[in-house]
Amino acid sequence: MLVDYSLLWQVRHFVYNHFADTTHPPSVEETARRFNISTKEAGDDYQELNNRHQFFLDPSTVNIRMAWPFSAMPTDFKVHANGRTYYANCAWDMLGIPVVLQSDATADAICTESNDAVQLEIKNGQVTNRDLLIHFPVAFSHWYDDLVFT
Amino acid sequence: MLLFRSEEWIDTWCQRNNLKRGEVLTVQQVWELSKPWYANRLALDYHGRSPELVAEIFRKSGLTSEFWR
Repeated sequence: MLVDYSLLWQVRHFVYNHFADTTHPPSVEETARRFNISTKEAGDDYQELNNRHQFFLDPSTVNIRMAWPFSAMPTDFKVHANGRTYYANCAWDMLGIPVVLQSDATADAICTESNDAVQLEIKNGQVTNRDLLIHFPVAFSHWYDDLVFT
Repeated sequence: MLLFRSEEWIDTWCQRNNLKRGEVLTVQQVWELSKPWYANRLALDYHGRSPELVAEIFRKSGLTSEFWR
């Protein structure tokens, strides 16, 4: 497949900003319409961006599951910002959403083992509940081995 | 990366899942790490981070052990 790199990065930009604007990723059909290309071409670009770890497709599909820090699926990490509610892929991504959006936020999360509800607030560049802990179970060199587990 | 209220809950989770303990950071540490890590993510010219930039972000955050390489 010949890659049109200019279009590829525009597609990436569109996907991320669509996620930020709407809390969910665009379908391959929406992206095809946006760029006036076929769904096959849009799907090929999705696959190329998946291969480059720009986002993560559900296996054997062209459905975007993760465009870090955003998750297309409900998770234990819910972030409220700019009047919208987003899901983050993990505890780290939960803190990444206000950075990406450049906004204040509140986050509703769950302690993974105790199942206690936890709320964090990110306001004026500061975070509350700062002594809570985030466990990184996988060394950096293996993060992409199994992205769902990571 | 999962959130825990205490070290004890992390140990319990690791034991229950038969997993080795990884690295543990506070929310404050991860918040500071998030700022350079997620910067510029919505920009058209963001094409990912180079290995050198990743290493620099980790180093500046004090994450210098083998785990972060």
